[in-house]
Amino acid sequence: MTRLYRVLFLVVLVVVFAALLPWQWYPRDWRVWYSDTFGASGFLEQPVTVPAVAGENTEEACPPDIRGWRKPQSIAGVDITASPNCLADNPHAVAAFVKGTNNVGHMTLMDARLSPDAVVKGRDLDGDGDPDEIHIRLEVFELNGGSPDLDVPVTQYAIAPGVTPGLWVFAPKSAGMSTENFESLIAQPGLRLPSPAIRVEQGDKVIVTLENSHYMPHTIHFHGVDHPFLTADGEGNDGVPVTSEMPVQPGKQRSYEMQPRQAGTMFYHCHVEVQAHVLMGLNGMFIIEENRPNNWVQTFNIGDGFVRHSSVAVKEKYDREYDLHYLDLDKQLGEKIQQTNDPRIVTQLIHRDYDISQADFEYYTLNGRSFPYTARDSLIVTAPDEKVKLRVVNGGSEGVAIHTHGHKVTITHYDGVEHPEPARITRDVVWVASAQRVDLELSTKNDGLHSYGEGVWLMHDHQEKGVTTSGFGPGGNVSAIVYERYLQDDGWPMTFGMDWKNFLTPGFYQRQDDGSGITPLLAGVEERGLSALRLTILATIAGLFVGLVASWTVKGRSRV
Amino acid sequence: MSRCELGVFLFFSLLVGASSVYGVDEHRHHHMPGMSMDVSGMVMGNNKDKLPDDCNEITGEYEINVVAGTRYAKPYASTMFGFNEHEWRVKPCSRITVNFKNEDDVRHQWMLHGLPKYLYDRGMFHMEASGGHTQTGVFIVPSDDKTYLVHCDIAQHMEKGMKAQLIAGSGSGDLWSIPGISADFERVGGIHGKKGSLIGLFAVFAFIVAFIIVFRLFSL
Repeated sequence: MTRLYRVLFLVVLVVVFAALLPWQWYPRDWRVWYSDTFGASGFLEQPVTVPAVAGENTEEACPPDIRGWRKPQSIAGVDITASPNCLADNPHAVAAFVKGTNNVGHMTLMDARLSPDAVVKGRDLDGDGDPDEIHIRLEVFELNGGSPDLDVPVTQYAIAPGVTPGLWVFAPKSAGMSTENFESLIAQPGLRLPSPAIRVEQGDKVIVTLENSHYMPHTIHFHGVDHPFLTADGEGNDGVPVTSEMPVQPGKQRSYEMQPRQAGTMFYHCHVEVQAHVLMGLNGMFIIEENRPNNWVQTFNIGDGFVRHSSVAVKEKYDREYDLHYLDLDKQLGEKIQQTNDPRIVTQLIHRDYDISQADFEYYTLNGRSFPYTARDSLIVTAPDEKVKLRVVNGGSEGVAIHTHGHKVTITHYDGVEHPEPARITRDVVWVASAQRVDLELSTKNDGLHSYGEGVWLMHDHQEKGVTTSGFGPGGNVSAIVYERYLQDDGWPMTFGMDWKNFLTPGFYQRQDDGSGITPLLAGVEERGLSALRLTILATIAGLFVGLVASWTVKGRSRV
Repeated sequence: MSRCELGVFLFFSLLVGASSVYGVDEHRHHHMPGMSMDVSGMVMGNNKDKLPDDCNEITGEYEINVVAGTRYAKPYASTMFGFNEHEWRVKPCSRITVNFKNEDDVRHQWMLHGLPKYLYDRGMFHMEASGGHTQTGVFIVPSDDKTYLVHCDIAQHMEKGMKAQLIAGSGSGDLWSIPGISADFERVGGIHGKKGSLIGLFAVFAFIVAFIIVFRLFSL
């Protein structure tokens, strides 16, 4: 190659490179000079707006009730009220919890997916027509855990569309598979967040047996529940590894005994490495109902929410009862069980490496779900001139400021202790600190104070991050007080604003769609930058150029 | 190769399962033949005498004693639950009696999949023993050479060691992640871990090749 050709080749390279280089990459002064000399550049079309609507990926808002779980029904002699929400509790399980799994038939147990010894109800000790010996068996389940063979979580439970944080929960002792069926990876309906509300009657002789079916050690501490420090046999009974007993190892069991003398809304949780285990989901509501004759209480309320078989004392004063469990979750903590399949490494990651003082919390749940899934099973459905009892617990590590649109609620109990009536506070933001409980009376009397009338009234944590999922809204613990007139037949609320279908897509919570239909955000604009091809050509030319210059340098040296 | 194929099949069949909606067959699990249930546990798919269509006679009799518990996880670091054995070999068309003893204080299962669905509900033979209890069940395998998955379906029990295989005849290859027998499909040196570094290596290699070509071409 002659020298002239080489120079020509270089010049061609430089010209092509210059032409391909984006206009804005040139120095500003050069561009000003160019404009002064040749005038402005031609008009550039801007990229078109991409509609920010989720489209065909939308999930069904309200899955059809093919099993007829929402209907009022009588199973094993237990009357179960209709469930107004779209997803109802399994009525067979409700019946088994009311009668005791030892007192219902084989078919009911099969439909309930419960072990025959999950809730054993024994003798009537005070002769008032209901059992007072209650033996409850709890197991520990991992939801959205890892697998050695799959790169998706197993025993799946989504708190919101496409959001599956790793969780540990207590659940009544079940029978059979943990998933819906062998072909499915989705947890059966009895296994979910939150750990279920437990109900017993004041004065009951209660035994709670923890069957540790999980691969980590656990205990149960009955927070606020009247229980002795030691059992009758002198065993530790407080569930606290540093003061009362060693943790229950995998595959082992331990029984806790109590005979609560006081009624009220209490709490239970695992007390092993509490800074992590409680926030993995191992906490639930423990309710002691006032003693009444013929008071068969619903021992478990799976997933909390609407109570389908309220106690006699609650029915005396209230038209409906709801259990509300608030819990915030740390995404990074939940991911630890998905990162490895080795229990030793999980232990290292959770018991040693996890530093809650550096943690922040991404998921805000109400009854184990975040908006829009809260609308499936945690709407407070009511009607005018009713009194509704709300039992609230905050199982999370941050406080919640529960705000009720359209209503002012009255706080009747703090931590299970009744507040004197003249001193009761009626307000529209109720602060509940970690582990605290409040019992609220929601009156739907349209007097401009307790209620402003019928509607779909939002109810949410007014600390704004509580209404987000990973900082993205609407999500979090948003739910609503919905009057029956504003409820569709399938249990979905009748709304007049934005279409909720946009939120019912996994992409939305990955921030792929704005979904609001209001703001065509930058996210909705087609990406525009250097194409990969153009960048590759530029890089190739640069490579050729460097190669040529380098070869000349080497030759120049060799001549010397 | 067959081991790999089987693993990939399992992998994709589970993935497909992940996206499936409620099975309508959720309704019809009452009054199944060969089923018993009480406080000690349950047996489903019990079959002492119904021959699969492809068998003329029972060609073998086996009695296997399975013991389940955390104790049997000890030989395999990184597991927490286990069976005393994780592989059993039988002849096709043989009758297998399983004595399933649970040494732990929590439930365990011995659940076998892949049997013909006309004989076994959902192709399953399933035993569940409550803590400290023993269950006994019988089933008959068909004539094909096949490896059957055996596991405990309580959340995380299979993942943490309660996975085994029953090989009829010459079998159809090993399943993945069986303690003492086969590797994990995803975790140790899985394909996904390597992908990122492979792309990086390829890019560096391409750059070096391009540089050398140009350099040699113009240096001569």
